[in-house]
Amino acid sequence: MILGLVVLLPFVAYLLWLIWALVAYPIPLGYNLRSLWQRKLSSLSTAAAIALVVGIFVVVLSLAQGLSVAFVSSGRPDQALVLRPNARFELNSSIERDRMRILKVHPLLKREADGPLASAEVVVVKLFTMADGTDTNVTVRGLERMGISMRPQVRLIQGRWFRPGLSEAVVPRKMQGRFPGMEVGRSLRMGGRDWQIVGAFDAGGASYESEVWSDVNDVMQAFKRDSYSAMLARLENPERLEGFAKAVEDDKRLQLEVVRETDYFKELTKAGDPIKVLGNLITLILTGAAIFAAMNTMYAAVAGRTKEIGTLRALGFRQREILASFQWESIFLCLTGGILGSGLALFANGIQTGTTSFETFSDVSFAFTITPGLMAQGVAFSLVMGLLGGFLPAWRASRIPLTEAMRGG
Amino acid sequence: MRWLALIWKSLMRSKRRTLLIVGSLVLSVFTVAVLQSLLTTLNSVTDNPNSSNRLVVRHKSGLTQMLPRSYEAYLRQQSEVETVCALQWFGGYYQDPRNFFANFASDETTLFQIFREEFGVSGITEAQIKDYIRDGAGCIVGESLAKKNGWKVGDVVPLTGTIFPLNPRLTIRLIFKSPKPSDENALHFHYKVLEEGVPYMKGLVGSFWVRARRPEDIPRLIERVDRHYANSAYETLTETENAFNLAFVKMLGNIGAIIQGITIAVVIAILIVTGNTMATAIRERTTEIAVFRAMGFSAGRVLALLLAEGVLLVGVGGFLGVLLANLAAGGVRSSLGAAMPFFADFAILPDTVLACMLGALGIGVLATFIPAYAATRRPITEGLRSIG
Amino acid sequence: MTSDRFDLGGGEPIITLRDVAKSYWREALEIPVLQGIDLEIPAGSYIALMGPSGSGKTTLLNLIAGIDRPTGGSLEVCGYELNDLDDDQLASWRNAHVGFIFQNYNLVPVLNAYENVELPLLLMKLSRRERREKVEEALAMVDLMDRRWNYPRQLSGGQEQRVAIARAVVTDPDLLVADEPTGALDAKNAEDVLGLMERLNSDLGKTIVMVTHDPKAAHHARHQIHLEKGVLDKAVEVNR
Repeated sequence: MILGLVVLLPFVAYLLWLIWALVAYPIPLGYNLRSLWQRKLSSLSTAAAIALVVGIFVVVLSLAQGLSVAFVSSGRPDQALVLRPNARFELNSSIERDRMRILKVHPLLKREADGPLASAEVVVVKLFTMADGTDTNVTVRGLERMGISMRPQVRLIQGRWFRPGLSEAVVPRKMQGRFPGMEVGRSLRMGGRDWQIVGAFDAGGASYESEVWSDVNDVMQAFKRDSYSAMLARLENPERLEGFAKAVEDDKRLQLEVVRETDYFKELTKAGDPIKVLGNLITLILTGAAIFAAMNTMYAAVAGRTKEIGTLRALGFRQREILASFQWESIFLCLTGGILGSGLALFANGIQTGTTSFETFSDVSFAFTITPGLMAQGVAFSLVMGLLGGFLPAWRASRIPLTEAMRGG
Repeated sequence: MRWLALIWKSLMRSKRRTLLIVGSLVLSVFTVAVLQSLLTTLNSVTDNPNSSNRLVVRHKSGLTQMLPRSYEAYLRQQSEVETVCALQWFGGYYQDPRNFFANFASDETTLFQIFREEFGVSGITEAQIKDYIRDGAGCIVGESLAKKNGWKVGDVVPLTGTIFPLNPRLTIRLIFKSPKPSDENALHFHYKVLEEGVPYMKGLVGSFWVRARRPEDIPRLIERVDRHYANSAYETLTETENAFNLAFVKMLGNIGAIIQGITIAVVIAILIVTGNTMATAIRERTTEIAVFRAMGFSAGRVLALLLAEGVLLVGVGGFLGVLLANLAAGGVRSSLGAAMPFFADFAILPDTVLACMLGALGIGVLATFIPAYAATRRPITEGLRSIG
Repeated sequence: MTSDRFDLGGGEPIITLRDVAKSYWREALEIPVLQGIDLEIPAGSYIALMGPSGSGKTTLLNLIAGIDRPTGGSLEVCGYELNDLDDDQLASWRNAHVGFIFQNYNLVPVLNAYENVELPLLLMKLSRRERREKVEEALAMVDLMDRRWNYPRQLSGGQEQRVAIARAVVTDPDLLVADEPTGALDAKNAEDVLGLMERLNSDLGKTIVMVTHDPKAAHHARHQIHLEKGVLDKAVEVNR
């Protein structure tokens, strides 16, 4: 953290000076912009290359963000999952009926008018066929009505919630686009029987948007399970978690593991890590390439204008003004590319895709969402490229002697 | 001084420019080579040449559902079937959950026959196989896995189960080698250990691996098995080994499209940047080109020299980029390979290298052609007249 | 018409122009630069081609040197009818028969003196040793053997022009064309270069056609021809 600040400091200081220079010095920015326009081909080519790199940067960022959002916003710090020890994930976990009975009446659970805030749940994975014909594993979650109210980010947008004992299911809206036959009113075949789709829901980008939900007992029967997977429990407040965990782990009748819901999802997010790391690495490398290209263009620009620069200095412009002037030229050039690139990234906006998390062994849907925030990051990124790529050439420009004005060139 | 020297010196006209562009190219080609190799690695997973006789039978609803062990009898009865082996992904870990490796419970007596081709060249002896079969708590491990953990034959490996509530203590009876690194990152133990240690697994099997006598029999066999168990309590889905592996690759999602998208973007960027650089370089030499032609260099020869410059520039950048990718391959293997099993086999294949080099040369020609052609079409007198 | 033929001394003509014309087109207008040029230049001549700016003297030089084509008329130079040669053949012809000397020297900056002089030889089928002999001979002729590894930026203007002259004669061409060879040089260097060219003409018998507007340079030639608005002035001054 400290190291980051130390590295960032000269950078920020330089940037501040540049902004001040813009205001304080009579830098001929119009000259710089016109020069960029005069060397149209060079300027446009470099801007285009930068646009492509920034476009990739923004798309990769949105991919990483999409993956994180899918998991992180799924949890609450005052809720916990009770699992079999060492299970790590709901799919691997099992809790027998009698243990669940004991758990459901635990004194540390938060209580409301209709009872303790706890939901016995079962999680199975079933192959579904997507619109493009390929099969993918999808999580089917059996839960109690309480489980729905314990997840306030989930909203019913069509139809109604399932009723127990009737083989009814609800599907996430995000899945309706990618999987055929998921409209409300249609039926799904799972576990050897037909389920009526009675509603569709949204979950604000959370991982539930990749799950089909139904009543816990219906799912257990259909998939021949006689134990639950996990219990979702809400506590009075987040600090009560340690106490609850200890009680459950020490209780000889239970011997189960307790994980805070937010921590549970943080583990799941790690599934996206290799993709995120790869994406970041690629972007970093390409940025290096783009900076080299920008540097090249700026050096050529400086080399072609030695006479002009000498003349400017003869006219009275100081070296630091020349430095700022060329630095700003480079920034404008790269900024143009950055704005173009962020705009380019918009073409990826809304593309729905999915991947399979190895941990949950099931599909995770997410959409590329190019937000204004991401686009701003892309533009800021191009600004950095302009700074780094333009610095050395601008420095060189500032060092061109006055005598160059007189030379034949 | 001959032609190559002339071309080289022309490129060195502006050392800084050449270095920066080569730097740009090296990084870009490196990225493309690594990305394309990721794709080829994934595709090769489904191209196992030894798999033509093998199929996998599993529950229709997916790998998380079990099939009854009794299905084995039916499978053995089929005339086309040579051997059947039950296999279940155990998913345990040794000491640290982050040290991922594949571990399975499998039928010890038939495993070696199903994967006859692989085990045949793995450097193991009949005696070792007998040792493993004899020891109910025995296990077999791949050589690279054994090396990583410092294991020898006879060592006890305690596994911690994550999917199943079982922590078996296994004794290594056999260490095998394989040309594919990902194969060596595996451990197998007796299926009975799973059945006896986990009550609800009694009589249940995750999947059956079947070896057919001849590849031609497979489609018929698949159809018959699935039809036999259709509408039963445990429906089956039978597929070839390649199809089975393909399903795993597909799980990664549309990674192919994303990679190709990035590759195209990078190629376009390279084209633009190189084109601009060559155009600038050529424009600088308008007079020089006219002088060459006055001296007697034909338009065609001048064009060839300029194209050669572009090709050399991109060629050097491309070569270094591919070289760098090769050097980085080891790093990719260990980092990504830990997260996803197939990437342990990551390698920059000769085909990929060739494609990258040819692509680079093609880009060199394409990017240089337009400014070079325009320069050679300009009348000599015009070139001589222009200043600079 | 032969009656108004210039008298440039005897000998076989190395350059014969008959009714040569050259025009440029700007939009739809035809702008004539040269009209009705009739000229015979004997081998071994040293001609200064003079005239005010815009008179077309450089254009005439370009046509003789084979780096431009006439809009009308015929040119026979060094035994070849240039109109009969296509572009590639013309390039080969130039390589063998013409040496160029420019006002701005036009040396390749990334090559040293030796390599610059060697350039035209690369187009001929010679071994490295043969090339070396010719290059060294040419550099010796211009008295720059000791500077043969220097790059143009390390040479003075006069030295650069001498390297250019060495390059022009290294293929042993019959014809040398020079466009304002002393235009960028000071008086001393100009004298050296002009003296060198005189020796090339008198000792080696090379035909030289030089465009210049400097009367002092023109004095080094043996004949002067004037061009006025694209037409040859009939007056011929004989210097020596």
